[in-house]
Parts: sequence; structure tokens; C-alpha cells
Amino acid sequence: MAFIVNDVDISAAEPKELLFDKHVEYIANHGNDQNDFEYCMTEFLRMSGIYWGVTALDLMQQLEKLDRKSIVEFIKKCQCPTSGGVAACEGHDPHMLYTLSAVQILCIYDCLDQIDVAGVARYVASLQQPDGSFFGDKWGEVDTRFSFCAVAILTLINKLDVINVPKAVEFVMSCCNADGGFGSKPNAESHAGLIYCCVGFLSITNQLHRLDCEKLAWWLCERQLPSGGLNGRPEKLPDVCYSWWVLASLTIMGRLHWISSDKLKVFILSCQDTDTGGFSDRTGNLPDIFHTLFGLGALSLLGHDKLLKVNPTFCMPQYVLDKLKINTQIISV
Amino acid sequence: MHGRLKVRTSAEEAARKKKEQEIKVKTYRAGMGRIFEKRKNGQLDDEMMQITGQILSRNPDVYTLWNIRKECILKMAESLGNEAKQSLYDKDLGFTEQCLMVNPKSYGAWHHRCWILENCPTPDWEREVALCNKYLKLDERNFHCWDYRRFVVKKAKVPAEDELKYCTEKIHKNFSNYSSWHYRSKLLPLLFPHETSPARPISESKLKEELEMVLTAAFTDPNDSSAWFYQRWLLGYSQPALDIAAIRISKNLAIASFSKPIDLRTCEIETNFGFNFNPDRWQPVQKGNKYDVAWIVEDSFELGASDLQQYIFKCRMSDGKDYAINLKKCSDGFYGMKCPKFEYEFGAAVIEELKNQLESCNQLLEYEPDSKWTLLTASLLMRAIDRRGYHTKSLEYLQKLEKIDYLRQGYYADLASKWAIEKVLEEWIEQGDLTVAIDLSNLNLATIFYEQYMSIAKIVILRNNCLSDRTATKFNAFQFCENLDASYNQFSTPGVIPHIPNLKVLSLEGNKFSNNATTRLEDQMKNL
Repeated sequence: MAFIVNDVDISAAEPKELLFDKHVEYIANHGNDQNDFEYCMTEFLRMSGIYWGVTALDLMQQLEKLDRKSIVEFIKKCQCPTSGGVAACEGHDPHMLYTLSAVQILCIYDCLDQIDVAGVARYVASLQQPDGSFFGDKWGEVDTRFSFCAVAILTLINKLDVINVPKAVEFVMSCCNADGGFGSKPNAESHAGLIYCCVGFLSITNQLHRLDCEKLAWWLCERQLPSGGLNGRPEKLPDVCYSWWVLASLTIMGRLHWISSDKLKVFILSCQDTDTGGFSDRTGNLPDIFHTLFGLGALSLLGHDKLLKVNPTFCMPQYVLDKLKINTQIISV
Repeated sequence: MHGRLKVRTSAEEAARKKKEQEIKVKTYRAGMGRIFEKRKNGQLDDEMMQITGQILSRNPDVYTLWNIRKECILKMAESLGNEAKQSLYDKDLGFTEQCLMVNPKSYGAWHHRCWILENCPTPDWEREVALCNKYLKLDERNFHCWDYRRFVVKKAKVPAEDELKYCTEKIHKNFSNYSSWHYRSKLLPLLFPHETSPARPISESKLKEELEMVLTAAFTDPNDSSAWFYQRWLLGYSQPALDIAAIRISKNLAIASFSKPIDLRTCEIETNFGFNFNPDRWQPVQKGNKYDVAWIVEDSFELGASDLQQYIFKCRMSDGKDYAINLKKCSDGFYGMKCPKFEYEFGAAVIEELKNQLESCNQLLEYEPDSKWTLLTASLLMRAIDRRGYHTKSLEYLQKLEKIDYLRQGYYADLASKWAIEKVLEEWIEQGDLTVAIDLSNLNLATIFYEQYMSIAKIVILRNNCLSDRTATKFNAFQFCENLDASYNQFSTPGVIPHIPNLKVLSLEGNKFSNNATTRLEDQMKNL
């Protein structure tokens, strides 16, 4: 049995420079056609879609391309007056994921006071369980993603004291594996996306000393494939979104130098769509707004000179967190 | 959107597709409209189940629709007897299975299944285990299904032995199965705990067996990383256990350092020679840290009055345990240090197996000298067998890895620095004289490790290495250092070297400071 590395080939014809204007256009036009099939079928994650677009444009200093007023109005309509949580879209149910996206957008727009912030805090607190974990919504799904959402939301609205932080930390640490990584719940396999959530969680709660950084960062640097792209688990294909999950985690642990930045840059840039703008998951695939933010975010972490500095924990422009006086812990090596 | 190839299509084809999508959008909108209207009117009925089902079977990520189905089922079940209730739940189990066939990675569908089983009157957990077997046959890396499996085997009370058997079968079918190796790393410590040390994951005898098995797997295809990761876990690389690293108390400064970052302000310190004060007085060496490896107090201490046989420094840490160290007296106070444990200490049988493995690795390297995983594992085996004896050889392997696996060059450089420092540090601690310099010159160091152990040293020589600005914060630990030689490195930002209170001589020549910066540095040095 010959072993084949799961990877992609990047041809010489792929883009090597950042197609800045194309991406601005791609994001600004996203959703202009309300009847577009993809747009309509992704209604269930609309709030996150807006966060990805707003953040990406802000990193490119082109935020004025979007209509702030209608976005803020939309968010207000999505907040549930009873629970305080925010839904992905009107008519849908509130959920931790979209509550975080909504709070992130409002922080970027500097208008948190437009929603019921106390309601948001109440919602997040109501979802914490006795073991410290968090439900995603009232139906009881537990995942370390929601632990991250909870502390990120509460830190952004300056209300971290409404939950039991030590218990929350204990739960996240119970999801740590022999390889140093983290899964979605205790005993679940390590996955770069969930590692980002847990490392981000520990960076927000100032508990990074609990990590076995050497072990975890080694596992993460092994995500880089010969193409330069990063995968999320051993023996999987590379994907632009892992450029963000892996790179942000390595940055927080002070070990960005454990991978090749140059090769990663080549991979990310090759995932740009030269016709429409936007980034896809892999070279040659269809672009979408999710991979567009994470492609740009990763390039910002690598120090791209046309992009504002991004905060590795919150995936928001650093200046927004500076303004809110939020410090996230980072390890130096 | 993942894994969707962009294909160029003819104008005709594109128009046809657009038309098709328009119809889909219309149908979706009409369906959602009807659902929201019915929900508003409290009509949680069969029709609602039907419309939500139509949309979810195409797009199982519309999370609100799963919620609505749960509301429907709860409402419908109210008026039913146990048997009818169960069949209502069973019907929806069948539906989730349909959805999972289309999209086996749908968070919503998997969670809905958990919810049904936890709410229905008579869940059939064995059937769920069988379902997992089926799905894991289709995709042995589907982590949703593995998570679901762990959930249902617990409910079905499947013994861990049986799960280990399942895991072993999976691995034998395909060694390249990180998910199974992962599960194995969870099951073994439950079934075969270490005889004496809770820090070690599994017993020595089981370890030997596992080492044999994993090497077969790794050698079947040396380019597949899964088994090698597992092998590294077995070799027990990890951070050191919590302990005191070094203590030094002089007339006006005290330092306490630890193997890992701690919050010393929450610890209780006790000595038998009258050195006691409020824990709030301790400061982390890196300002602002809540947890740090080294802590200081600047004060004047009454020392030398007592004449005891033993000077003991005891610290009760947040784990509730006491850690103690015997201190020695020196000209200006007390000091003590503990050599860290760098690797696990294995028994003779395991060592014998490790030696066999090293030999096998070396044989393989004769045929494939650039086999990355073999090189890395061989170097780790050497460290586990005889760290001192193989020191040079293991570092040679890392140097080679820096070249053949250049994506991770930075990792190997840091690891080589760590090993090089371990050797010098160990020898320095063994000789035990504080006034002797820690000589770390000419070692190609890219970073500093174990700085907390150096915190009590008088002279630290780092001359001619590759240290850069990012490592400068580590110098915060060198609180007792009087002579620091950091010349011929890569430091470039003036002022990057932190303030060290006792420093008398600082050598920085041969770094990458600009001319302008050098002048400012001279100023900094004048102020020492």
C-alpha cells in the first residue's frame, strides 16, 4: 500500500499577489442579489456571514463599503427579547454562535448600546452547565466552541463576572488530549478548529500556562503540507480556514516561526478567485465569504502590509480591541 | 462551503442551472414562510414535520428547523401512551439517518439524534452502537460519529475492553487512522494504568506491547504520520511535573522559581530558618504576569543568625501538595536547586525494546536516509535510552531534519536549543557552585529554555548563538545575574534586554543593532 499525501498542487498560473480590489468588490457585492441561490441557502448563518464580511472589509480599511445602518437594524431585529440571545436571521432561533457574531459586529461599529447588552449577558449565563461547559442554545448541544463564544462575548461586553470562570476553565481543560490538542468535548479527537477555540478561551481567561505548548504547537506545525497549506487534522487536505485556526493558535503560543510563512502565503494567495474575487477553501474551488475572511486574517497575522493588524484571539482588527481596552494573553518564546 | 470545484460551464448549461436554482429558492422560501406562520400559530403538527423534513433533508444545517421538530415531537408526545410515543421518536430517528446519509457531518442531525435518545421512553443504545459501526466503515475519520460512539457506548455500558478491541481491529485494517489511535490513547490509561506513577499514562508491560505494535504500523508506511504521533506519546515527551526549580535568598533579594508557571501569591511558604512573610509581597519576574515561573521579593532579610543542620524551604501549592527543597548556606545567604526530569525513566524491559526500535530505525535509515519520521523517532529513542551518551548524535539528527523538513525548521532549531541547554544545565546543577558560570556559548541556540533554573546564577554566558528579540523576555528570570554575555547574537531592538537588578557587566557587541541604537545601548549600559 503506497501512502499518498493528501495535498494539492499549485500551478504557476495561480495568483501570487493579493487581489485587493477584487476582494473588496466581492465582499461589498455579497448579498446584493437577495435571490442568489447560495446567499439564500446560507440564511441560517447570516449573522456570521455579516461578521465575516464586516471584519474582512475593516482589515482592508474599506468598511464604508457596507451599509452600517441597515446592518445594525438587522441585528436589533435578530435579538430575542425574552432570552436575550441573537439569531442568525429573522425568524430563526437565538444561538451562542450568532450572539458572538452580532456582538463582534457591534464592537467593530462601536455601537454595543444598540442592543440589550444585559440580555446578552443573561443569555450566555443561562447556558452554562454545572460542569462548567456551555450549551449552544437551550436544546443542549455541548461543545468547546460554545465555551469560547461565551467568554469572548462576555469579555467584549465587559461582563465576564456573570459566569463561573474557574468551572469553565476546568471543563475546557477536561477536553485536552494526549497530543496536547483539544476536541469538542471530553475524549473527543483533537481538531485545529477546536484547538483555536480552546487556546483562544485560555488566552481570554488568562490561563495559557495550562497548555503544554511544546506538544500542542508541534502537532499544529505538523499541519503544514508540502503545498504550504495547513490541514485541520493529520492526513487531511489543506484548507484556507485552517490557515487561520492553526496560525492564530501558534501566534497566541508565540510559535509562528514553527511553520514556513512564505510557503503558507503562496498557498493562501493561490486560493483567490481571479474572476470574482474572494478566497476558496483550496486552490481551484469556489470562493465564499467565510474563507475570504480567514484568508485575509491569516495574511494579516503574517504581516501583510496592505492589511490592518488582526487580533489572533478574537479575529477582529486589533484597533477595535485596543479601543475597548481588552488585553488578550500571548506567550513569548 | 468546502470542497466545491469551480467548473467552467457553457452559457446554456449556466442558464439551465440558474433556472433550477431559482425554483429551489422559491420552494425554500415558500416552505420557510409556511413554517414560520404555522409556528406563530402554534400549529406543531404532522404538516410541520413534513415541511421541515423536506427542507432539512436537503439542507440539514438549518438549525432552527431541528428545534421546531423537537417542539413538535414534545407537543405530539403529550397525548400519547408509551408505545405510541416511542414510535413517534423512532420515526424521527429514521429521518435523521436519512439526513446523515446525505451529510454525515451535520452537527444539527447528530445532536438531534442524541436528543431523541435522551428523551424517548425506551432508547435502544445497542442499535446506536451498530449504527456507528456502519458509519465508521464508510468514513473512519468522521469525528462526529466517533463522538457519538463515545456517547452511546457509555449509555449502552459497553466495557472499555470491547472498545479497545474494536479500536485494534480498526487500526489493523488501516494504520493511517489517527482517530483510532486517539481513542486508543484514551482507553489504555483506563485499562492499564501505570503501577506506581500517576504521571505516566500506562503500565510498563502494556507499554512494551504498544511500542511493538506501533512500530510495525509506522514501518508499514514511514510517511504516514498517525502511528508516529502515537509513538511519540508512548515515549512520554511532556512538560515536567510541577516542582520547585531553584531558590535563592540574599540580604535584599529573594527568588523562588518553579518548573511550571504558578501563582505564588496563592501558595503557602514555610521555612525552618525564620524567612516568612506575606505571600502578597511576591512579584512575578515578568511584570503583569498572573502566573510565572519565577517570583521575587525585594526586602532586607535577617540572615545567618541561625545555625541549623538543614535549611528547608517548603511551598504548599494550589494542588494542595507540599513541595520542599533543602537549601545550602553561601556567603550572602541561602540557595538550592533541583535538576529537572528531562525524560521518563523506563524499566529494563522497555529499554530493551527501545534499543531494538532504534536499531530498526537505523536500518531503515540506511535505505531511506531522508525519512523524516524515522529520523525524528530515532533521535527521540536515543534520548529515552541514554540521553548523555547519544547527545551529539541526537542533535545531528535534528540538524538533518532542519534541512529535509525545512517547513518546520524553526521547530527543530528550538528543540535542538532545548536539548543543548539541558546538557549544560544538568552539569551546572551537578557541580553545585553558584559562582561558576553557566556557559551556553557556541550552541546555536535559537531560544532559551529552563531560564527559571538559571535565575540564581551569577554569570550567564550566551555568546555566539542565534538568539533574537523574541527571547529577550526570558532574561527577566536572571535576577541574580551580575555578568551577562549576550554578545554575537541576533538582537536588533535597542532596549529589548530587560532590566536586571544585580547586573554589573552586560556584553552586547556583535548583535544586529543599528549604529544609532548602539549609542543608546551604551547609555543603557552606563546606567547599570
